[in-house]
Amino acid sequence: MRVLVLHAHPNPESYNAALFRLVVGGLRAGGHEVDACDLHAEDFQPVLSRAERVGYHAIPANRSPVEAYVKRLEAAEALVLVYPVWNFGFPAILKGFLDRVFLPGVSFRIVDGLVRPNLQHISRLVVVTTYGGPRWRAFLVGDPPRRFATRVLRALIKPAGKMRYLAHYDMNRSTDASRSAFIGEVKAAVARL
Amino acid sequence: MRVLVVYCHPCEESFNASVRNAALEALATAGYETRLVDLYASGFEPVLTADQRRRYHTPGDNERGIEEHLAHLRWCEALIFVYPTWWYGPPAMLKGWLDRVWIPHATFGMPERNKPITRVLTNIRTIGAISTLGSPRWWWWIMGAPGRRTLLTGLSVLCAPRCRTFWLGLHQMDQSSDGERAAYLQKVRGKLASLT
Repeated sequence: MRVLVLHAHPNPESYNAALFRLVVGGLRAGGHEVDACDLHAEDFQPVLSRAERVGYHAIPANRSPVEAYVKRLEAAEALVLVYPVWNFGFPAILKGFLDRVFLPGVSFRIVDGLVRPNLQHISRLVVVTTYGGPRWRAFLVGDPPRRFATRVLRALIKPAGKMRYLAHYDMNRSTDASRSAFIGEVKAAVARL
Repeated sequence: MRVLVVYCHPCEESFNASVRNAALEALATAGYETRLVDLYASGFEPVLTADQRRRYHTPGDNERGIEEHLAHLRWCEALIFVYPTWWYGPPAMLKGWLDRVWIPHATFGMPERNKPITRVLTNIRTIGAISTLGSPRWWWWIMGAPGRRTLLTGLSVLCAPRCRTFWLGLHQMDQSSDGERAAYLQKVRGKLASLT
């Protein structure tokens, strides 16, 4: 399977970056063709410019500023996101990937004024993420990044596609044991893709 | 009342710019002291870099480069966002403002074992989000209104204990009529004329 792995943590020595390497290594060992996209390492620019906003709905010219990323997304049969939850959302660099690359004509189409999903070529979606705070706190806020992934992203891919949401909550008070247990969980999910 | 308006849109001719102007006019008429942060116009850098991440938890050192934004947060009593909802949340530019400016020690106390996160910016007692959305209201709710939760709920738990929040959303922006947009601007003016 061709898998696009999107990663959004600035520090190569972070736990999150270790999870990214684990996912990429595990998928390759499983025989998958992996496109490992480390947004910070690739110096991805997340800000949708004025020109991009003006030309947002002009299909297919709207893809030209981010053509290479559009091709990588369109080539994917599975999508894996590895990122930390910051302030109950995606880091800006990952949010900007949605703003700039998930364009009309790429990830969705507008038919009679209604939005239709356009990523049916993706049949597997896996989220690997870490939260600073405990799960109850995320729950009280409504866990917006979980809702976004399990509802919005889930709705864009193949209707019968499978989704896994793997989260290590309470990183601020995590232990070696909790971190290794999560690594085990991620390894297992990668092996089953 | 001291009000900080954080505005985020790349196009000066956009409807969001009209919303910002209506908001600023209403605040001035009401006699509030107002400051504006225009993220695009000021060329704000939304990406938290490796260097910033490494000093993220160091009090004082983590404030380098964002002193001005922190001063605004410590000054204001109301914080108002004006922005378009893109992909069910704030644009990357505005999300990056949260990532970079809402840092530990300066804006909240880190949780310790058995002790939760603590509030620091208790001067902020109102947070409002004014946003245009492409989606219909019912679909926004089925998707769980993530952007609203991130900005209003997520930040209000770090501000004054009884911090109020309000949300003014204009849905199905792409199909809206002149009349609907004018009515929405009127609603924005009305709300900002009497902040509590």
